Amino acid sequence: MRDVIICRCEEVTLSQLEEIIKHHDPSARELKLRTRAGMGICGGKTCRPLLDKVLQKLTDKPPTDDIPLKVQPPVRPTSLAQLGGSGDET
Amino acid sequence: MQKHDAVIIGAGPAGLNAAIALRKHDLNVLVIDEFPHLGGRLLGQLHEEPNGEWWNGIKEAEKLVNEAKALNTEMLTNVSVHHIQRKDGAFVVHTNRKNYEAKNVLIATGAAETANPIPGWTLPGVMTIGAAQVMTNVHRVRVGEKGIVIGVNVLAAAIARELLLAGIRLHSLALPINNAVTDEQSHPKMVMERLSRIAHLAPSPLLRFGGKFAKYKWAQNIAVSFYPKKGINMWDVPIHLRKAVKEINGTEQVESVTMVDITKDGEIIPGTEEEIPVDFVCIAGGLYPLAELAAVVGVPFKYVEPLGGHVPVHNEKMETPVEGVYVAGNITGIESAKVARAQGKVAGLSIAFRMKKDAAIQKEIEKAMDEVKTTRDNATIQFHPEIARGRDDIHAQFNKYLNG
Repeated sequence: MRDVIICRCEEVTLSQLEEIIKHHDPSARELKLRTRAGMGICGGKTCRPLLDKVLQKLTDKPPTDDIPLKVQPPVRPTSLAQLGGSGDET
Repeated sequence: MQKHDAVIIGAGPAGLNAAIALRKHDLNVLVIDEFPHLGGRLLGQLHEEPNGEWWNGIKEAEKLVNEAKALNTEMLTNVSVHHIQRKDGAFVVHTNRKNYEAKNVLIATGAAETANPIPGWTLPGVMTIGAAQVMTNVHRVRVGEKGIVIGVNVLAAAIARELLLAGIRLHSLALPINNAVTDEQSHPKMVMERLSRIAHLAPSPLLRFGGKFAKYKWAQNIAVSFYPKKGINMWDVPIHLRKAVKEINGTEQVESVTMVDITKDGEIIPGTEEEIPVDFVCIAGGLYPLAELAAVVGVPFKYVEPLGGHVPVHNEKMETPVEGVYVAGNITGIESAKVARAQGKVAGLSIAFRMKKDAAIQKEIEKAMDEVKTTRDNATIQFHPEIARGRDDIHAQFNKYLNG
């Protein structure tokens, strides 16, 4: 059976994530940094809940109240001009 | 820069009804939505209620939009919010258009869909069931000639019917193959257990089949063990609990899926592969609260499974522990549009009270809070049977924040 892609932007597969989890018992952040899953241009729009689920299922840790991967602005794809304030800001 | 009394993010049932409440108290409101049309996910909804009446989301959205317009509510579409900053006791709402200042912010961003990732799910022609709903009911675009739905749950069943009403052919609804992510969505017993809780959604024969066994776990096991191999037909489309889609195939786009028989525990039965030609696939993995903006403005969270996962902490008045930040609708937990609409009114009134400190508004809030409860108790679609417990959990957490 073909592998399953979890993070589409960075093309990270389920078996890559499983391998890292097996060898490093990582936190959500470490899993992201080791694989780049969730770091693509969409900012984790699709894969965030999938990554949470993989980690929770394979490490058997109950979910914490804090969101596993910190949410950073901008939460939508945004041009640098807008962030720099050179747009039509009033 | 003009400072709005309230900026409302999300023009769905919660956001619109909040805006109406605020305008009735003559407060200055700006509603922002990133979709081209006002109404949020109401726009996609079309279903028959147990009493035989039809719920037409487009009509419901129109009613709210017209009422808001009659009250001269400022509403923007095609505008995305990407950040909310706290500034001198107020807020700056950053968008792709410009920044807006607000004394209060209501985050009514609704929910997003989770995927059931299986091999081939990134091929063109694979979409979430919600995307198929929007294409069909809002954009009036045919999603394909013949498709299959992967995932058996309340959302999948409701939208599958809408696709059928639009004349789109479906091979079946089937489970995703088991992996670390599809997990409980791929397990026949767990799926049956969940279905049995929505058995009151007659006239669906599948749900009636599950419903007979609703109360007893041992009976659910029997139902799964003896689940018909051909599936159970609902509106002439088979629903499978003992067949799973193992793979989605195609080179440039979806051409077929590979289906296998599974045991009552979700294990593949070898030698049962069957290739089914389809030109689109809908993935139905369920909903979770879309709460990124609450996170960036500093609202604390709590994990509450019955509400759909991580939910911003709030109380029954829709206040969060961050003064001036309010939440309403599916961001507070996955429930029906009617509950969202009722919550929106509470949030709008709570903001009005903060601005005016008028005791009469306090009375209105209490009445609106009762309406939320009544609406919840009468809901025909319950996404989770323990919603009420989940609600108690999150409200208790709010009090902890206030006292701690």
